[in-house]
Amino acid sequence: MEHADTRPLPIEPYDKVWGVGVSGLTDAPSPFPRVNRLLKWTRERDSTADAQRAVIVTEGYQNYAHLPQNVKWGLILRDIFTKVDIHIWPEELIVGELAAEPCSAPIYPEFSLDWVAREFRGNVMEARTNDRYVIDRKVKEDIYAIEPFWEHKTLGEAFEASLTKEEWDGSYLGKGINRCGLFVYAGVGHVCAHYEKLFRLGFGGIRRQIVEAMEALDTSLPADVTRREFYQAELYAVEGASTYIRRYGELATRMAAEEADPVRRAELERIASNCLWVAENPPRDFWEAIQLYHIATNMIIIESNGHSVTYGRFDVLFTPFYENDVKNGTLTREQMQELIELFFIKMHQLRKIRDTYAITFSSGTIMGGTALDVGGVDAEGNDITSDVSYMVLDAHAHTRIPNPWMGVRLHEGSPRKFKVKVFNVIRIGTGEPKIFNDAPIIKSLMGYGKPLEEARGYVGVGCVEPAIPGKTYGMHDSGSLNLTMILHMAINGGRCIDDGMQLSIDTGSLETFTSFDEVLESFDKQMKYWCDSMISTINKLDYCHQRMKPLPYLSLLVDDCIAKGQDVSCGGARYNHSGPQAVGIGTTADSLAAIKQLVFDEKRVSGKELLDALKADWAGYAPLYALVNSAHMHQYGNDDDYADDLARYVVDEYCRYVGHRPTPHGGEYMPGVFTVTANVQHGASTPASPDGRKAGEPLSDCMGPVHTACCSHDRCGPTAIAKSVTKIDMTQIGNGIILNWKFSPGAVSGETGLDNLIDLMDVYFDRQGMQSQFSIVGRETMEAAQKQPEQYQDLLVRIAGYSAYFVELSRELQNDLIGRTELSFD
Amino acid sequence: MTEYGIIASIQKYTIHDGPGIRTEVFFKGCPLRCLWCSNPEGLEAKPELGFYPDKCLGEAECGWCRRACPAPPPPGVHVSAGFDTDACRDCLKCAEACPAGAIRVWGQRYTVPELMTEIRKDRSFYDKSGGGVTLSGGEVLLQWEFAAALLRACREEGIHTCVESALHVPWAHAAAVFQYADMIITDIKHMDSKVHKALTGAGNERILENIRRLAALGKPLVVRTPVVPGYNGDEESIRSIASFLRDELGGALLQYQLLPYRKMGTEKYASLRRPYPLADYRVPERSEWEPALRRYASVLREEYGLPAVAGSGAKLE
Repeated sequence: MEHADTRPLPIEPYDKVWGVGVSGLTDAPSPFPRVNRLLKWTRERDSTADAQRAVIVTEGYQNYAHLPQNVKWGLILRDIFTKVDIHIWPEELIVGELAAEPCSAPIYPEFSLDWVAREFRGNVMEARTNDRYVIDRKVKEDIYAIEPFWEHKTLGEAFEASLTKEEWDGSYLGKGINRCGLFVYAGVGHVCAHYEKLFRLGFGGIRRQIVEAMEALDTSLPADVTRREFYQAELYAVEGASTYIRRYGELATRMAAEEADPVRRAELERIASNCLWVAENPPRDFWEAIQLYHIATNMIIIESNGHSVTYGRFDVLFTPFYENDVKNGTLTREQMQELIELFFIKMHQLRKIRDTYAITFSSGTIMGGTALDVGGVDAEGNDITSDVSYMVLDAHAHTRIPNPWMGVRLHEGSPRKFKVKVFNVIRIGTGEPKIFNDAPIIKSLMGYGKPLEEARGYVGVGCVEPAIPGKTYGMHDSGSLNLTMILHMAINGGRCIDDGMQLSIDTGSLETFTSFDEVLESFDKQMKYWCDSMISTINKLDYCHQRMKPLPYLSLLVDDCIAKGQDVSCGGARYNHSGPQAVGIGTTADSLAAIKQLVFDEKRVSGKELLDALKADWAGYAPLYALVNSAHMHQYGNDDDYADDLARYVVDEYCRYVGHRPTPHGGEYMPGVFTVTANVQHGASTPASPDGRKAGEPLSDCMGPVHTACCSHDRCGPTAIAKSVTKIDMTQIGNGIILNWKFSPGAVSGETGLDNLIDLMDVYFDRQGMQSQFSIVGRETMEAAQKQPEQYQDLLVRIAGYSAYFVELSRELQNDLIGRTELSFD
Repeated sequence: MTEYGIIASIQKYTIHDGPGIRTEVFFKGCPLRCLWCSNPEGLEAKPELGFYPDKCLGEAECGWCRRACPAPPPPGVHVSAGFDTDACRDCLKCAEACPAGAIRVWGQRYTVPELMTEIRKDRSFYDKSGGGVTLSGGEVLLQWEFAAALLRACREEGIHTCVESALHVPWAHAAAVFQYADMIITDIKHMDSKVHKALTGAGNERILENIRRLAALGKPLVVRTPVVPGYNGDEESIRSIASFLRDELGGALLQYQLLPYRKMGTEKYASLRRPYPLADYRVPERSEWEPALRRYASVLREEYGLPAVAGSGAKLE
């Protein structure tokens, strides 16, 4: 029952309480009127698409058809950056767009175009209830005009043609045991650029590095011929980048000359001078730096619409500028606070169109993956929090939008004061920020070949995937594997439970197994089979990217591409990975526990009977269905070793068959355990499972316990969840984990609510839990929002790796959120 | 002493009954019958069967309870109909068999070592947060020998102990338990004994006398009043409690909490086939009770010098 003054202030006290579970349901969250106006302006714009990029790329493919693929792309990028329309919008202080207007998505025909044209023709995107896009007629016509050109030229077609029948059937194109479509219809993304280098050298300095490297080549050596091609591509890309920024400076200069209002004129003049300077040179103050940061990141997305293009450690990057500007009086703290908030809004204006099938399961993401972290340690292990860390957290409280995807790194030396700020922002209930635990993540990175000093500098790219900023290029979300389907294969002779299709090798049946060990033996063989199949599929995809979609602009900003003379997609980065995720840990663990308990330990049902119940989707088996969902069972998430040991076994198995295997672009596979929303997607194609799940229901989410349509399987509260989950060794899960917590507002309100939440997470982190994220919006609020969406437009909720507006989610996702156990103690 | 305690339930991560993160053990059996009681499963001392008809699959589809019952009622009559009759042997086998959670047992026998196994599971959370164990009920002091043994075992392992009691018991029983308690939570429902009897079924003389003695022990003490508008929510009732606390407790009082009444437990009453005394009571809106509680707390702080707070969410220090 705290009674706090929740009005926003330009400089907030560290222990400011904004309310508990109030989410974004507030007018004017920011103390800065300009921010509130631009938030509203952005919110009211329709999402749309722009064909300019697609047309320029198509022309480039025709004009430069004779050139090597990377040189071709260097020239195409330069063309885009030189030709595309640009704008500066009213009141903006940070400028730069995505080769399209705010809230407009460019189109990337090089990956695939058929679905775009198909949905344009059918006016499908306009008719969507969520992730709706309104597309201009002219844009559609431009796309129809280039569609024939792209037939048999896209990465998507090349990938599909590379698959064997078995791979096809197992993939999202068939039964969907592994889903790796994310990088088929779009770029890889999942990378954090080397912003420190950019801030140190500027694009001019990077260009000089390339020229020097080029001059040192000896093209009588064969390898230097391809290096020369690479450097040529880099030169085109860096010229294009400088040009793009300079064009904004020139536009601002022209607009300033015509501006009647002296205040706005001065702002435009400053924008002009910022852009003209950072087009070439290292930034000198906070404003120039954030301008460069914004537009340099946009250009990564313009090159390739990869998900999860990451901003990195904002406080580490900006504290030097902040301190310098405060000392010199260049900018006030209030001005910098406003710039951070405006920067968040620019991020929030980014758009990426996805196909209608995808958005049923992964909706409301807008761009997706705008990851930005604060907190953590420096290379020596000292805490790095500064005023800027707190300002970033305040900026979220002042904008309440789902961008950036904010992460907070915590470690043993994180100040209590900082945690109070972090958890007060979490208690608002927007789902931001998520928290990372440095110790196990750093240990895990070291297990994947990084020295301690570099591991300490990690960022979460996208949802959670740990990477070394500016040095790692990983296909961090290259696929997801449905472990529950693998269990089905293991207990049903390699056949699907529903239609009996023989999809895998026959490793035995629950009808004939005589011990639980035989079940595990069969599961182990199926795990190996399906991990091999998934990795083979992803390897083919990796080669498609290497051959067809070089990334000359991104290669400017990732070490050691320039030193090696190698594109980032082909292994130019210092660290290379591929990170597919396991889906359905809880579902699979509870299923195994049910088989062990009922069939073998208690012998209450026969293996055949249980299998028959699954084949019947539990119809005619009501008592058995109730039993497997009941508290009579051993279930994961209750601090019960019987089930928790099986969850650990399942994760160990996945890590064993995925971890450290070689990737085509020269690194190691790293397993991950987070589903984002893939648990809903995989669940939709998964028949009934022994844990008491009916066909089509979501699988368990991320590292979390099971909840079925019947009930949630975690019954003992948050301490039991924290313990169950940390029985799994997370340091082997190099690609990261997600653990979703859902609290009712009453459970975390008041001083004791805050203190105990912090302490709960401290113990979870002491036990080497890797990550946590929170949903603190009451079930009643979400149900009310389903009934009256117009009243809840700003209800922001945590989905998985990200937050989104509840009313913009598909009904499937909304229900999945409402169904997660709400931990309530009132 | 008795080897077993009868425990209604164990709840982890309780954060409102004592400092830090706690495991709360709810004892069965209570000498009071407060009109607003929201834990009816804690009233009777012996294990009881609860029945939730909504969850029952029906005998046609399931019937697992009938098969487990040694003395089933005639066909067509559900097993649960026999619960309150002489035919029922209290063997609880029907609850064990019920797959749907429609029949459940309230009250389980635990030995001290068994409870300690449960309590130890959250040890690291107590240590981090300054939490521990809280014994509550029902009335924990009805099973005073078992409670004392349990707290002694907690003490031996350095686990912080807290007892929440209504104190309507002989002082000797209370004292036997309190010697192992690090903090005590009790409550005063009304100062007028007649009204108290009407509200709880018993006068308040023994309770108030026990509170005086408790204060003399010098242990950290939290006193609460569940404020139920229409019964004890008027300003005069609250002020008279405040006078008692000021005059009789000296400096022993760590915090005085004014708790809002929330109508919970309706389903539990129904499952136990017991009427909810306040079934028809209209709970005031939050916008009504919250300002009232805040105002009382501020009056009590300013005029009586009491450490009064609204709710149980304020830090204990």
